[in-house]
Amino acid sequence: MLTLLDQLDQGTLWRSPGGIHPPQEKSLSNTTAIARLALAQQYLVPVPQVGESCTLSVKVGDRVLKGTPLTQGTSLQHLPVHAPTSGTVIAIEPRPSNHASALPVNTCVIAADGQDSWCPLQPSDPAELSQQQILDKVRSAGIAGLGGAAFPSHIKLNPVSEIELVIINGVECEPYITSDDRLMREHSDDILAGIAIIHKLVQPQRIVIAIEDNKPEAAEAMTQAIGRSQLPVGSTRVTVIPTKYPSGGEKQLIQIITGKEVPAGAIPAQLGVLVHNVGTAYAIQAAVLQGQPLVERVVTVTGQSIGRPGNYWVPIGTPVTHLLEASGSTAFAGQKIIVGGPMMGHALPQTQVPVLKGTNCILAPGAAELATEVEEKACIRCGECAQACPAQLLPQQLFWHAKAEEYDKAAGFNLKDCIECGCCSYVCPSDIPLVEYYRVAKSALRQAAEDKLQAERAKQRFEARLQRLEEEKLAREAKAKEAAERRKASMSPKDKDAVAAAMARIQAKKAATETAAVSPDAQATEAAGGNKSAAVAAAVARAKAKKAQQAQTDSPAAVRTEVQTEVQTEVQPAAADDKQAKIAAAVARAKAKKAQQAQADSPAAVQTEVQAEVQTRVQTEVQPAAADDKQAKIAAAVARAKAKKAQQAQADNPAAVQIEAPTEVQTRVQTEVQPAAADDKQARIAAAVARAKAKKAQQAQTDNPAAMRTEVQNEVQTEVQPAAADDKQARIAAAVAKAKAKKAASAAKQDKE
Amino acid sequence: MFIAVSLLTLLALVFGILLGFAAQKFKVEGNPIVDQIDTLLPQTQCGQCGYPGCRPYAEAIANGDKINKCPPGGTATMEKLAELMGVDPEPLNASAETQVKKVAYIREDECIGCTKCIQACPVDAIIGAGKLMHTVLTSDCTGCDLCVEPCPVDCIDMIPVTPNLKNWNWQLNAIPVTLLDEEKPC
Repeated sequence: MLTLLDQLDQGTLWRSPGGIHPPQEKSLSNTTAIARLALAQQYLVPVPQVGESCTLSVKVGDRVLKGTPLTQGTSLQHLPVHAPTSGTVIAIEPRPSNHASALPVNTCVIAADGQDSWCPLQPSDPAELSQQQILDKVRSAGIAGLGGAAFPSHIKLNPVSEIELVIINGVECEPYITSDDRLMREHSDDILAGIAIIHKLVQPQRIVIAIEDNKPEAAEAMTQAIGRSQLPVGSTRVTVIPTKYPSGGEKQLIQIITGKEVPAGAIPAQLGVLVHNVGTAYAIQAAVLQGQPLVERVVTVTGQSIGRPGNYWVPIGTPVTHLLEASGSTAFAGQKIIVGGPMMGHALPQTQVPVLKGTNCILAPGAAELATEVEEKACIRCGECAQACPAQLLPQQLFWHAKAEEYDKAAGFNLKDCIECGCCSYVCPSDIPLVEYYRVAKSALRQAAEDKLQAERAKQRFEARLQRLEEEKLAREAKAKEAAERRKASMSPKDKDAVAAAMARIQAKKAATETAAVSPDAQATEAAGGNKSAAVAAAVARAKAKKAQQAQTDSPAAVRTEVQTEVQTEVQPAAADDKQAKIAAAVARAKAKKAQQAQADSPAAVQTEVQAEVQTRVQTEVQPAAADDKQAKIAAAVARAKAKKAQQAQADNPAAVQIEAPTEVQTRVQTEVQPAAADDKQARIAAAVARAKAKKAQQAQTDNPAAMRTEVQNEVQTEVQPAAADDKQARIAAAVAKAKAKKAASAAKQDKE
Repeated sequence: MFIAVSLLTLLALVFGILLGFAAQKFKVEGNPIVDQIDTLLPQTQCGQCGYPGCRPYAEAIANGDKINKCPPGGTATMEKLAELMGVDPEPLNASAETQVKKVAYIREDECIGCTKCIQACPVDAIIGAGKLMHTVLTSDCTGCDLCVEPCPVDCIDMIPVTPNLKNWNWQLNAIPVTLLDEEKPC
């Protein structure tokens, strides 16, 4: 019985399930050497590219050299992004991304200076470096998997488990792509130097370079290079595998080379296998030996619409438009440009997007290559797709559930193991774009998982908040109790007498209330400064009036009650801190409001003609003489708020049958804000609050479903007369207020119609 | 006769003790169905169902309330609830306009720092202090709408979440490439 290593040495191959043989178009681009194109005017470098959290290390206007790092990050996943050429950062702004959606992502735009001069590089000898130093070099060079997935290489090169076998992937199974083919032919020694570094890092027992049999030149070049390399004899070999799509997939390749299947949800390292692309091996070599960061890669530019198809060294961040122009594209505007191969790639919604680390091919198909839009027909359950599926899934079942949007059922058929290779779509006789369905289903499942996570977090936060509120409440109660006990303990006999006197007064007041029938006209006009007792007496009187009024309006048989509440609150604060007067006025207004509410809340009997002419004339003439007349302003705001609430209460009154309520609400909010001082911030805020309230009141009114014959005469005359020079805000506020008034008026008109 | 009666009495006694012991030992705290319902609900804590939060609504459903009172969850949640509770799905009692995920946004230069929205937020997703500007942690906002009403200066907007590369939904945009000649050997 041969061991796995023996079988590897013999080049034993296993069969991978499924797969297809699409027509090969590699000869279109693999006959010419890898060339360089002229520099583009601008380079679009998305930041960040791999890894989420990072900080920008350049700003707009900075001059950068080729290889200057543009980002810094601390997370393990993060890879720095480097300037692809020398020039100036002219913008850092959202630009369309190289993605099927072309959604804008943050992009660093670099205007090339044409000199393409490198920043100082630090070449080194891997023999003198420790493992960690090599890994740091690989990471700071920003090397990601160049096969297409762009996974950070330094993570793969630092495996937690022991690696027996490293597979260098030179399969390149996509029908059009030849970038790895040309790289192996021209730079086989450099690739081997990269493989030697990988060998030093992971110490595998064997390294297998897998190449498809449609690239005999590349296989030959690599075999010769192995002979020239420093690698231990017998540790490395080239294995030629039969051409079949998708043999280049990581899991498929492992199955072909070792016969082992990577379990669902597992990574190859768990089998002791590591797969790296040949391009990645080349980049690792450049990073460690020459100190060059990953700023360019080989891109196959091909298709029948390209005048000079071939492979090019393309700086990362080159706009696809430039690539097409420089390679003599004859693609017409609006033609499909495909990034990646025809099997797994995606069409670009627009071409002003950058080449990224994972972009291995730009395909501009000609008219003969572009299929006419075929109609999707019904699935006939032929089972061709199940035969072709390399992951041994049941594509027609997945399709069935994905189309019905039963995504959890599709997940039950192992949708997440689909590698989106497109074999099923290719063989489908009904032209069903199966992979597109799977992509939609996968993104929906991802979204659902994300939503669930968010819901869980929201629940935790909600519960934490409830607990906190409960604790705060308990703490407050304990504190109040403690304070009460302290008060009781320190109370003298004299204080106790005072409490008894207060109790007696309250009793007397209650007795008086029962007999009182006072008109509700409460005009609070206290102007005195420190006459405290008089003010208290007045307050008591008002309280009595209020209670009496309530008793009246609460009586159920209050037919034809003509209550004409004319609250004419004229607040004219003459002195700066005439506090008592203002408080008294505020109390009076509060009472007026309560009276109105009580009226509105009374259960409307049949044929009640409530002629409530509420003429709320809030003539708040705020004339702040002094700069910080804060109290006056607050009082005005409170008054307006009350007026609003009263109106709302009226409007909410459930209109009974045959009630003729000609409510003439004349809301004349004449907010004449005359800010004398320059930055009279409070005054402006007060004005804003007033406007917001006026708006809400209007809304409440217009929402009233039974508001027949309501003549709403909203005259919001916001006369803001900015005296000072820089009160821009005041003017803007005035404009907004006018706009709101206009809207409210039109809404009212509509309502009437 | 006596043996039969005594035997049955004995058996009844033994099983009675056994059941009594099991009822004490394996007592289930609370209603487990409430937890299951609660995990299905979207946890926006918006109160649109008429209950103060998602858990109270879950308890209400367990006690026989209707399953169609959750507009943020939409039809999908309603269907899952119908399946769990074994009742017929019924149309949502609210319009479907709240289906788009939204988050609150405070126009910061208009905020007067009144802290009213902070008190209204059920998931503590608004930060700020008295007389200082407030802002919303969009990653934690559930889009429940509860902060909009208390704002005295109307400076809170509910804006739909913009799609990014992570949450963008693949549309059906196939890449049609014809086969040139099928017989070509590979």
